[in-house]
Amino acid sequence: MTAVTAAETAIAEPDAGVRARGVSLGRLRISRSRAIAGAVLLGLGFIPVVVPHHDFWMYIGAYIAVWAMLELSIVVVTGFAGMISLMPFTFVGIGCFASGVAVSVWGWPFWLAVPFAAAATVPVSIAVGAASVRLKGLYLAIATLTFGNALGETLFKWNAFTGGQQGHTIVRPKLGVLSFRGDFSFYVLAMLVALLLVWMVHGLKASRVGRAMLSVRDNEREAQALGINAIKTKLTALVIGGAIAGVGGAFYLALLRTAAPAGFQSPYVEISSVLLVVWAVIGGIDSAFGAFLGATALIVQQQVYQGVGERLGAWLGLYAAAILVVFLITRPGGLVQVVKIQRERIHSDRIRGGIETFVILAINVVIVYLILHFGK
Amino acid sequence: MVLATAALPVVEVASFGLAKGAVFALLALGLVLIYRTTGVTNFAHWGIGLSGIVIYFLLTSKAHTPTPLAAIISIVACAAIGAISYRLVFRYVKRTNQLVLILIALGVAQFFAALTAWGFGFEPTTIVKPWLPVSNIKVGTAEVQSTQVIAAVVAVVISLLFMAWFRYARTGRALRAVAQNREAASLAGIDEHRYSMIAWAIGSALAGLALLLIIPHTSGQSGGVITTGDTTPFGTFLIPAFGAALVGGLVNLPLAVVGGFIFGLAQEMLILAPSPWGGLRSTIAAILIVILLLMHMERFFVARAELEALEA
Repeated sequence: MTAVTAAETAIAEPDAGVRARGVSLGRLRISRSRAIAGAVLLGLGFIPVVVPHHDFWMYIGAYIAVWAMLELSIVVVTGFAGMISLMPFTFVGIGCFASGVAVSVWGWPFWLAVPFAAAATVPVSIAVGAASVRLKGLYLAIATLTFGNALGETLFKWNAFTGGQQGHTIVRPKLGVLSFRGDFSFYVLAMLVALLLVWMVHGLKASRVGRAMLSVRDNEREAQALGINAIKTKLTALVIGGAIAGVGGAFYLALLRTAAPAGFQSPYVEISSVLLVVWAVIGGIDSAFGAFLGATALIVQQQVYQGVGERLGAWLGLYAAAILVVFLITRPGGLVQVVKIQRERIHSDRIRGGIETFVILAINVVIVYLILHFGK
Repeated sequence: MVLATAALPVVEVASFGLAKGAVFALLALGLVLIYRTTGVTNFAHWGIGLSGIVIYFLLTSKAHTPTPLAAIISIVACAAIGAISYRLVFRYVKRTNQLVLILIALGVAQFFAALTAWGFGFEPTTIVKPWLPVSNIKVGTAEVQSTQVIAAVVAVVISLLFMAWFRYARTGRALRAVAQNREAASLAGIDEHRYSMIAWAIGSALAGLALLLIIPHTSGQSGGVITTGDTTPFGTFLIPAFGAALVGGLVNLPLAVVGGFIFGLAQEMLILAPSPWGGLRSTIAAILIVILLLMHMERFFVARAELEALEA
């Protein structure tokens, strides 16, 4: 049962066992893992400069950026505050259609619609929180699952909000002379916003509020004994997570240019919500970078397996479920933890660590190949 | 009052509500059994039950097995699937960490959603043949489908048998011992993992039976229709089934069955309600669930020690 115990400590303290080795940049202390993660993310930002401007890849890049924003809301709610919410995609929908109404009905500029989308999620977050913040664990999971379902039946069937069966169609934004209409420029915009959000969520984790969330997650009674208002902290997490999902929703609409309400009604909203939660866990649920890794892994796979056609969903589902279970039992810190562990291994023994990392990568390539080859 | 209500098909609607309630009741029984013995909120319950339908569908359409035989085989297969899920996955998860437990249950739910979509061959709609005798029974002036009556009766009989078994049979008593105190049970020579596996097998078989009672009979003689909306992690039944289980606080078996019928009837009878209230139909389950969650029903039914063991 050692694996399980390891799993539990790592969920509680994902950084346990990883020594802090950092680079000092004046006042800023950045640990090396963060420096590497930052470099990788920056690298992603420069792909379009290096790679020829192929619209398809730009679209995928923008997709990854938007999906990372959505994953970030789960990092805050579930990863930091430890509340299982099975309705993240409902908040995305609220952001999506709030910005849709603002842009296509009221004629607002997109830049005003984004904060409006974030604000629109707040009353829902508070309502959900008021009803469920005292619930723990599985009861909260059931409650949020139910709310997502019920909002899909009511809010997302309200034509004034959703724009009817067709949904809303918007034009991607422009800023002065800068136009973000093309896939390339929109990719740059979405990636910048996603990185900004990653930076903010990362900062949140170290802030007073964020640390309060972590302590409520780890032991609510202890946190209360230390003077932390657990209810307030949880509500804050829900509101912040909802607002991030709302911003993500606005960009989701801009990315797709059109969104229909059916995707936010039962049972599709549940599929998307579970997908979001599962991939947030695979990425690394309590790390802002994990959200990015999870989103990248998901979207890249979706695109790689596009050739498999309709079986894509099934393969991805099977694969994701298998990975999730294996990760939760052996590497609960997700991809972030895998990266950290492999980095440690390479550091302590260059040859063996290197071979091991290579084998892990090779196995992944083989899996992708096998699925592509036999999936048809 | 001389209203048009007399013309409304009250009996037909009630009978469909009862059939639905029967399905929720059987699903809730399985949820309660699995939760009490292993502490897992089984979000994969729908997926496991639907795997039974996949096997039934493949047997009847591809292998031309007689339908009642196929139904029995698929119920047994469901039991095996449940036992395997426990043996391969849930056995290795400590029940003290609910976050991990729920996430893994979600992963398994997604696994079965994908598997069932594959099993039905990714068709937008699939027709499943009926296996119960389909006819119309006259009740007064109304006509009621025989399968709905059978579903309700079977659900009640099976739940009574199951509850008696859980209370008096040796295996049932051992299961209760595991639920109440794992350590004491294992000290008394009860193999915790073996009985957890049995609980998963029986819970999953009940899920398979529940879905087999309703899904192949939704459109009478021509069978039942499975859409892509069904091959999703929670389908359309899991939320009300959780609601039903919550009537007994996820721990009480008889109230879970009662809850099933409450949810089934409430959802269907609201069709008959006058216009502003009819809209409640889609949200009634959510409203009831939130009320039940806030009432913390479980505190009425189990000893404090068991509750703490479950919610650790």
